[in-house]
Amino acid sequence: MYQPGAGDFKYFVGISSLSQIATRHDRVCVLNILGGESSEVTPVGHAWSGGNVVFGTSPGRGGQVLATPAGDIPVYNSVREGLDAGHRFNCGVVYLPPAAARDGVAELIRVNPELKKVFIITEKIAVHDAREIRAMGQQHGIDIFGANCLGVADAWNEVRIGGALGGDNPSDTLKRGSIAILSNSGGFTTTIAQYLRMAGWGTTTLVSSGKDVYIHYAAPEFAFALANDARSKAAVLYCEPGGYYERDAEFTKPVVACVVGRWKAKLTRAVGHAGAMAGGEDDAAAKERWFMDKFGVDAIYTPENPVFSAKGAVVTNIAHIPAALTEVMRANATLPDFAPEGTMELKAWFGGNAGVELPAALDLPVVDAIEPYRMQIGQLARQIGALFPREGLKDASGASQMDPQTQVSSLHGVSVLEAARLPLEANVSLALLREAGGENDRKLVNVALCACLNLHGDPALAAAQAARDAGNAPNSVLGAALAIVGPRRTAGAGEIAALLIERFHAAGLRDALDDDFDLGALADDAALRRLVLADGPDPQAEAMLAGLDAREARSVFVRWLRGLGAPPTADAVLAAITTTLAWGPLLRKRVSRLTAERLPAWMRLIGTAIGASVDAARHGPDTFCEIPTASLLGEASITDVACRALLDRAPSAADLFAFQTLVGILLTNGPGTISAQGAKGAVSADGPEAPQRVQLNKALLGFLTHTGYAHGGNGFEGVQFLMAQFRDTSLIDPADPAHGIDVAALAVRCAEDYAQYKASAKAAGSADLRKIPGVNHPVFKDRPVNVDPREAFIRELMAARGESNVFHEFYRALVQALRDAGVSRTVYCVTLDAVIAALLLKLTWQPWRAGEIGEAALESAAFTVFLYARLLGCAAEIDDHLNRGRNMDTRSPASKCRFVS
Amino acid sequence: MQVTGMLHGSPLLRFADFPAAEVLGPDASEEAIKDLIERHGSVFVKPVFKGGVGKKGKAGLIGRAKDLKSALAEKERLYFVEHRHGNQVAKANGVTFEGAVPAEHEVYFSITDSTRFRAPTMTLTHHGGMDIEELDKTQVAQIPFDPLTGLKAFVVANALADIGAPKEIISPLVQHLPRLWELFHDFGMTTLELNPIRMRADRRGRLTPVACDFKCGFDRDDPRWHRLNLPAHLFAADYSDFEQEINQLRTHQGQSDVYVINEHGTILAPTFGGGANSLVTEMLGDDAIISSDFGGNPPYEKMKSVAAICFKHWLRQANVLFIIGGKSNNTDIFETFRAMADALREHFGTYGPTPLAVVAGRGGPNLVRGMGVLRDTCEALGLPYRLFGFDSAMSEVVDYAREMNEWMKAGGRAAVARRLGITEATAAA
Repeated sequence: MYQPGAGDFKYFVGISSLSQIATRHDRVCVLNILGGESSEVTPVGHAWSGGNVVFGTSPGRGGQVLATPAGDIPVYNSVREGLDAGHRFNCGVVYLPPAAARDGVAELIRVNPELKKVFIITEKIAVHDAREIRAMGQQHGIDIFGANCLGVADAWNEVRIGGALGGDNPSDTLKRGSIAILSNSGGFTTTIAQYLRMAGWGTTTLVSSGKDVYIHYAAPEFAFALANDARSKAAVLYCEPGGYYERDAEFTKPVVACVVGRWKAKLTRAVGHAGAMAGGEDDAAAKERWFMDKFGVDAIYTPENPVFSAKGAVVTNIAHIPAALTEVMRANATLPDFAPEGTMELKAWFGGNAGVELPAALDLPVVDAIEPYRMQIGQLARQIGALFPREGLKDASGASQMDPQTQVSSLHGVSVLEAARLPLEANVSLALLREAGGENDRKLVNVALCACLNLHGDPALAAAQAARDAGNAPNSVLGAALAIVGPRRTAGAGEIAALLIERFHAAGLRDALDDDFDLGALADDAALRRLVLADGPDPQAEAMLAGLDAREARSVFVRWLRGLGAPPTADAVLAAITTTLAWGPLLRKRVSRLTAERLPAWMRLIGTAIGASVDAARHGPDTFCEIPTASLLGEASITDVACRALLDRAPSAADLFAFQTLVGILLTNGPGTISAQGAKGAVSADGPEAPQRVQLNKALLGFLTHTGYAHGGNGFEGVQFLMAQFRDTSLIDPADPAHGIDVAALAVRCAEDYAQYKASAKAAGSADLRKIPGVNHPVFKDRPVNVDPREAFIRELMAARGESNVFHEFYRALVQALRDAGVSRTVYCVTLDAVIAALLLKLTWQPWRAGEIGEAALESAAFTVFLYARLLGCAAEIDDHLNRGRNMDTRSPASKCRFVS
Repeated sequence: MQVTGMLHGSPLLRFADFPAAEVLGPDASEEAIKDLIERHGSVFVKPVFKGGVGKKGKAGLIGRAKDLKSALAEKERLYFVEHRHGNQVAKANGVTFEGAVPAEHEVYFSITDSTRFRAPTMTLTHHGGMDIEELDKTQVAQIPFDPLTGLKAFVVANALADIGAPKEIISPLVQHLPRLWELFHDFGMTTLELNPIRMRADRRGRLTPVACDFKCGFDRDDPRWHRLNLPAHLFAADYSDFEQEINQLRTHQGQSDVYVINEHGTILAPTFGGGANSLVTEMLGDDAIISSDFGGNPPYEKMKSVAAICFKHWLRQANVLFIIGGKSNNTDIFETFRAMADALREHFGTYGPTPLAVVAGRGGPNLVRGMGVLRDTCEALGLPYRLFGFDSAMSEVVDYAREMNEWMKAGGRAAVARRLGITEATAAA
């Protein structure tokens, strides 16, 4: 049944010494050399081993080569072809898939009479095939290693065959010494070598045995070859439960055996390594006993209870191997091979507490890693900001999402309902920096945006006004202005921001508000100075600096600008402001460097859009919307200014609240909305993989062209409905709780009118019923009383503030009246659209009633407030797509498109 | 993956033309049971356990009936009976009725792969019907044989001669037993055990072996057992929903072995490498939710899917996400860490934040880049974390993760929850 071989075994063993397992004379053929694993691992091993692979096979890919640092390895269709080409080899390595591994071994054995060793890396080979592989090896006198192993390596010969022992840089781990390793775990073969090395022990031959049911090269023959290897003074064995291999091994040299897996006795089926189950007499406890008997010890070695003999020690934790080995070897009067290279104590290479106070024992400091990792970490530290992997972003977004259950959308994890409680300036931070920011951030955003509002004398204003005069809707008006603010207009500030980020990061700035940060290192930076200093005083820059002063806004960057001793440009001040805003998110890897560099452009674009929404007559040389520049920059909130721009009057607290709420809830509705699709399509078309070419203003035009009377302007539908209901009432102030209107009666009348209309429409056979805007929702229905949770949230928010809105009140009465009049089976919900209409009309009721504005202006205002909000949401989409998207990723494949005839 | 009992064993034996006791399933009609009793004199009533459970006879879980009334009474007793064997508790669902085979001789037969001989090995004794472990070694033949030629008649004959089997059973066994090799080898089995085989005499006194109990194990890595078209529910009891979901991703490329250790555990530990898996599971004990081996250089997509499934099932209850492995040889740390980090980020995006501490210990190709991604993700999500290199002893890192878990239990979780801005109600472990 088997060939005679070395030693006194009942089966064939060809290897008589560990030194023969992996030598410089071995020549290797790799089956499936171009496979995923082999193509990564073989080149490293080949180069480290002085070019030991003569050829590989890959059926159908003959003629190709596998490139390695030690030259190309030729690839043939089969082993026979390779031999015919004149190659000779004695070692076969099998990287084939499990179903093909057995046949690969058969091919090696039958075709090549010079074959001596086979190394099978393949995992999950069927036991059926393993049986036959074993038999073939025995019949032909071939040593087989594996399967399911990582091959072998020899630190003295600097050779590895099959597999990846030592990883991608074998010399890092495998240092010549006196210890041989046999391990059931491929990963731990390298890990143990690493542990030994740190304790001063080098290695001879390392064998990853695999851990299948059939272990072809196992402990008995390893012990035999260990005895005959003059280089090896001792061995480390790593054993898992399952199999009687270790029991029959007879060691003549000291051994440290690490036996693990006692916990597996609790299991009822194999986990991880095969053959490891409860119940057999080959479980972990049995294996511990076998070794204890061999070594003549009565306990497991631990640092607290170091039990060992000159023959060896048993450990159950691989971390105890080096200490156990050192003690065993001392008992044999043998010192480590070299000075220990390190310790095994805890060394955190990276760490952070996320602002949580950890107990001292857990709050481990970050320490320098060993080389070359320390150097790599240093390189990593020089990378600023997050790096997002790119992927196709069609109908996908890293900025916004809508929860289909609650219908509540969120932007960067903040729901629009929460966003409704934030002022506009905080939502600017949220959209572009993923965090709403704090008080100082709001001051900075206000200065940056307010500085960009006034377009007096700017062609953008002329373009916007021309568009408005030509009867365009607000989106086209804003678009006309934004088209003028092209990349060249914003490049200067972006360039400054880029350099500020680089220089201040290099100087070690952690906190952009740190009043004590030492600016000494940056004082003489000529390149930076050249960029930020103006030829003469820049009035815009001075106004911004004065505004920052007036608000007592803090910024290391602005402090540095002031300290230069010469007047900076407005671009420099803007870049200083935005870089201050971005610093925290940048260092926390919330945003990319790209986003931070584009932030000045965003401020300019958002400011321009809000500015352009205001008639040209309200932009003066020193005022905007009648606000003098000094107070605009020194105290105004952008929420207040935008609301004033919209209403053409100084807003009341109630107006501001309504406006802020509207902006928050309209911020986004997920990446599926038309506006987001327009914005994303514009980025996709420019090609985000070359982000410097993406034109942000054009991307905003994509957003604007994808809004219109149906999407964005539709809030007006509800407004019209409410106006029709309240037109004939004596309502003066919709915010006054004592409005004197009988809302219930109004609702009943409306419901009855509708019931009548519905009945007559049905009688006339019309299926196309006009619907009441703002009631009933496809998701929030079918309960006796339905509630749109978004409406409920706003209602509660208003109640908490003591706000009243008669229109909202009317809607609530209406749904009940509709139910009572038999129009609906259930009480419909009042939708978010109704809330928007109620808020809009509340803002504009009085001027409309006074005849100051007509319906067209009202509609325009409704549309504009949507644009303000969605401008921020879409800026977030654009920035996200810029960072993560792929070129042209929003297109639909032709197969998904239909022709309609 | 085991099949026990004659209900499913009998059809399998038919593949090998091996005679088997007549068997009726749980849904047998009273007429059929009565008919079976009439033809065989008596029936054995045995509970049906999914996956297979040993030592039923010893536990009094096998009934014998000579009339329909007692057969039905035994059915009632055993239909949903519970059986404790070792750590395993199994609940029956149904019974079988097996026609008794009167016989003088009972034989034990099995084939399995022996790690002592490193070959398929037949175990055979004519002292069957009892635990093989209780017999003296001289009474049992354990004979390895060549898988390339299979179990041959002479192997059986020699074995029976060696243990002094009665001569009248030798010829029928020599004729029938070798057929079982084909059932074993050609359908991906790892063990096949018939105990007892009863030697039934015909009118002329000639003996035929009849299998009266059946047990086999299948190799999940061998697709040959699919040829048997066994009903999927036979193995369904082996896996939880979570394990089944993960196992769908099981391919030869990269490991994805998981086992739920404690579904109330608080450390979620994706582990890389069988060695690390052993060490970590042993040290974590009941703190661990799962025991896993995700090593073998899984590609990004697979690793991300595996991590997403783990997170979906377990992250909310976890205090510590503990990513641990040795110094990998070829598993790309950048790819695997990036995949897990992305899955974590997406999980937070989809299901909202959950209080968590992240601890990792790892070595291998692209280590620093991988750790960099994990660090960035922890920073972005606002989670405390410590990442250790391979120069920290793995067991120390495990201890650190356990201490972190203890601290999380003792107020740390609430502190992290506050930091994440989530309420205690959703944060409760």
